[in-house]
Amino acid sequence: MRSKPLTLTYVLGAFCLAGCGVQSTTQEVRQAQTDLGDHSIVILSRKHKTQGETEDDFVSCVSGNVNSGDDSLPVLAEQDFVDATFPWFEPRTAPLTMDDLSNVINRPLLTERIQEIGVRYLVWIEGTTQRSDESGSLQCTVVSGGIPACFGFLSWENGANYEASVWDVHKGMNVGTLSSEASGTSFVPAVVVPLPFIARVRQRACDKLAEQIKGFLGPA
Amino acid sequence: MTHTSAASSTSALRHRILSVATLLAALAVSGCKGGASVTVDISVPRPLVEPMGVAVGMYFNDELKNYIHEEDLADFGTYSIDIGASQASVFAQVFEAMFGNVVPMVKQRPANVSEDDGQDAALVSADGRSVEVEGVLAPSIEEVQFALPDQTGGDFYEVWIRYRMEILDTNGKALAEWPLIGYGKANQRNYGSLDQKEAGLYAAAIWALRDAAAVLSFQFHDQTAVQGWLASVGASSP
Repeated sequence: MRSKPLTLTYVLGAFCLAGCGVQSTTQEVRQAQTDLGDHSIVILSRKHKTQGETEDDFVSCVSGNVNSGDDSLPVLAEQDFVDATFPWFEPRTAPLTMDDLSNVINRPLLTERIQEIGVRYLVWIEGTTQRSDESGSLQCTVVSGGIPACFGFLSWENGANYEASVWDVHKGMNVGTLSSEASGTSFVPAVVVPLPFIARVRQRACDKLAEQIKGFLGPA
Repeated sequence: MTHTSAASSTSALRHRILSVATLLAALAVSGCKGGASVTVDISVPRPLVEPMGVAVGMYFNDELKNYIHEEDLADFGTYSIDIGASQASVFAQVFEAMFGNVVPMVKQRPANVSEDDGQDAALVSADGRSVEVEGVLAPSIEEVQFALPDQTGGDFYEVWIRYRMEILDTNGKALAEWPLIGYGKANQRNYGSLDQKEAGLYAAAIWALRDAAAVLSFQFHDQTAVQGWLASVGASSP
């Protein structure tokens, strides 16, 4: 007969195989039509803030997803773009508003460089994944025989909230805003050995945002 | 025989667990107060700015080229940030984009003048050519500061570099002077826990150098001292 904790572990395992209870929501606001043609896009994060800076691996994840699959779009890597346009898109100098963008892209040297690298749309990502509502406890000890063992149950909520603003460099306007939210609960039950069941909310938010960008900028 | 083998494997497992535990404890201790040492040797991309048609020299003193910031923090360990190797390449890249004609300069004392005479060495072309320049750009570092997430309670490793920028004549007399501050930060969430201090400070130092280069490109013409010098050599802002 199976013990109760073991049964609980199996139930949670099955639950997590189905996505660990990650819920996601996406929203899209389109302000103008888009036409990527044979140009490319750049996915960038805002780096001027003193807190809540988007994780580099989230931006890489979205860029990678948009740039792969059957409906992939051409994406220029963030660092390649920032280097190619140096010093106009550094953390302290990057345009924050459409007025700033208009001022920047009207400079002949920069206009020429952006045409050269073939970038049409800038996708600015803001947001983070945060951990909250932790509960339970996990205690580890060395049992007889000198072998460590852990007992207990730990759980926490993760919330991923990201927003992407899409700027058209040619027209100098914001063409739309996309958002992707995901939340889920992670568990670590432990009966001797801790078994983590992690809700991969950041990955879900990345997948969803990448899908949205493809749909927004891809061919109709 | 089987029993002996089982006992031996249990002992080996216990030994392995103890070794791992010792290693983890050592890492935890070093992670708390280990300090970090980073050497930053990079350049920056050529800035996209309109060059001015002014011939200038550039001079980098040894203190700048060998600059290492060392600091012992009571609760956080000893830190060393070596940014000297990047200075000449970063400033040369920016100056060459900002001016049409840039000549590397060195200090040279005339053969008949000794150091004891109290006379400053002259700035001459590094390759020995006779050149005429309107001024010599000479950056120097006044101060470097850094901050760790553990100190600030925030997410970032941060580095500040405060420069004193000077435009000198070829006798070493200052024609213009202004401060330049480069600031860089790196999010600790972008790095793993084992080498986070090194990786975070390295990235923050790179961003600080890039920031100094960007601000110099942007704000050069806004400096009152620079405007006076530009007017004196008959040049105008692009």
